Amino acid sequence: MGIVKGDQMVLNIGPQHPSTHGVLRLKVVTDGEIVSDIEPIIGYLHRCFEKHCENSTYEQVIPFTDRCDYIASMNNNFGYVVAMEKLMEIKVPDRVEYIRIIMAELNRIASHLLALGVYGLDVGAFTPFLYMFRDRERILDIFELTCGARLLYNYMWVGGVSHDLPVGFVETVYGFLDYFEPKLKEYNEILTYNKIFIERTADVGVLPPEVAISYGVSGPNLRGSGVKWDLRKDEPYSIYERFDFEVPVGEGTVGTTGDCWDRFYVRMLEMIESAKILRQALKNLPQDGDVHQAIPKKIRPPKGSIYQRTESPRGDLAYYIISDGSPEPYRLKMRSPAFTALSVLNEISRGWMLSDVIAILGSLDIVLGEIDR
Amino acid sequence: MGNYLKNIWETITTMLTGMRVTLQHLLSIRRNNVTLQYPEERWPRPERDIGFDHSNYNVIRSRLHVDIDDCIGCLKCERACPVDCIKIETVKVPNRGEDIRSIGHTGVTANGTKKAMVVSRFDIDMTECCYCNLCTYPCPEECIYMTGGPNSEKHEIDYEYSEYDRNDLIFRFAKKVSDEEIESATSVSGVEG
Repeated sequence: MGIVKGDQMVLNIGPQHPSTHGVLRLKVVTDGEIVSDIEPIIGYLHRCFEKHCENSTYEQVIPFTDRCDYIASMNNNFGYVVAMEKLMEIKVPDRVEYIRIIMAELNRIASHLLALGVYGLDVGAFTPFLYMFRDRERILDIFELTCGARLLYNYMWVGGVSHDLPVGFVETVYGFLDYFEPKLKEYNEILTYNKIFIERTADVGVLPPEVAISYGVSGPNLRGSGVKWDLRKDEPYSIYERFDFEVPVGEGTVGTTGDCWDRFYVRMLEMIESAKILRQALKNLPQDGDVHQAIPKKIRPPKGSIYQRTESPRGDLAYYIISDGSPEPYRLKMRSPAFTALSVLNEISRGWMLSDVIAILGSLDIVLGEIDR
Repeated sequence: MGNYLKNIWETITTMLTGMRVTLQHLLSIRRNNVTLQYPEERWPRPERDIGFDHSNYNVIRSRLHVDIDDCIGCLKCERACPVDCIKIETVKVPNRGEDIRSIGHTGVTANGTKKAMVVSRFDIDMTECCYCNLCTYPCPEECIYMTGGPNSEKHEIDYEYSEYDRNDLIFRFAKKVSDEEIESATSVSGVEG
């Protein structure tokens, strides 16, 4: 941010602002209503996650990973335990793998429902927000049924999961899917193809694929730009190679490829794919097997380091763990997908109006807990 | 001009489509009511069938509870806690497994373990607790556990334990005793015996 000229004005959006999705401050240089520069100021939610981990044992890190991306805690747990299991060379029972996939995909749906609902709220559609939260509630009930917590689960452990599935779990999830899949049509009717919504989002904040790649943007934001890149498909971890699903990409259906509407719609399509994965996982879920069987008595990985990436609902979530052979990690670094998504905000919202900045920021689906850590 | 009219037409039709969805919800309001009148109604605890009977087993994480008579003071939960919200102090007893009635100490746990310690302090600060449930697993006597939601059978307490003062959220499960008290108590009981 250079010198502010006479006819320009600096405007602070946030840190307490409903559309910044958390405690984010945007220092916006405006020229009339046109935005000429944005500087996101982060750190309001910094809780020293990485430094805390150096003083906690490997089990105690898992509750901290929950609190990074608090919208999709299961996926955060998942990334960490996959990294740890690779470092310790633990073979996890099949049942555990399937349970993890079910939980991760359920949480992906819940996370996208929140993202889409709140995005509607950002651009002025209140009703879809309520409908999506109502359906997200059902997923949270399933989590509560399984592990007793609604948001911060501490469910996946190194080598297993904390609770086995309750009796009747499979039927509950089938029931949810039967309920949920027709609802997608309803969301499309009420929000996605609404002309006012299209006018607000189509052609706005176009993120070209080369810019997205150079900024390291990943996940639905990258796929919205038309790049077919999904770690579940391209670098399968856990047992994702066993599932048959598509990777939806943005095609510029109502505007340009990579606009806000594409990023929105990719998430909508991803929920269908997640439902597909869920049905396959439920069908093939092994009936017996102890979920605690592979959990090591003492987690003390050998000297070495590991970098493991996983596909969280927000994108490429990676953990870099350095072990010095003690029960505590020497260093734990988390590569946050929302952080890179936020970094591209200045690039794509220059020249747009102030109200469009809110639409662009919402379409990036950032979670500040993960950016600040 | 054609485009202009088309835009208006699309706006009206898509809005009416959205209105139809909301109207359907309005008409089915009795069936699909999701709002709960909170103080009168409460969200039920999920019916969780775990396939076996275990009276202590409760997955809902609302509040930590300790059956202090069963605690042997092994400090495993204190070490497991990631945020150090459990604070335990213990005093050694002269005779292992012996009841000391004057300070309300029972010598043997429900599982039949003879206790070598009197737990003189067992404080859980629920303002610090992160509800991760990590402390409940290592407990050898299964005496620290999470108590459940509104329909918990074992305990009446539930998730509504707000207080006016922060200090009231520090739950003290053990009675404070000093070395001297234990010494005098055991010597008295020795005289009686």
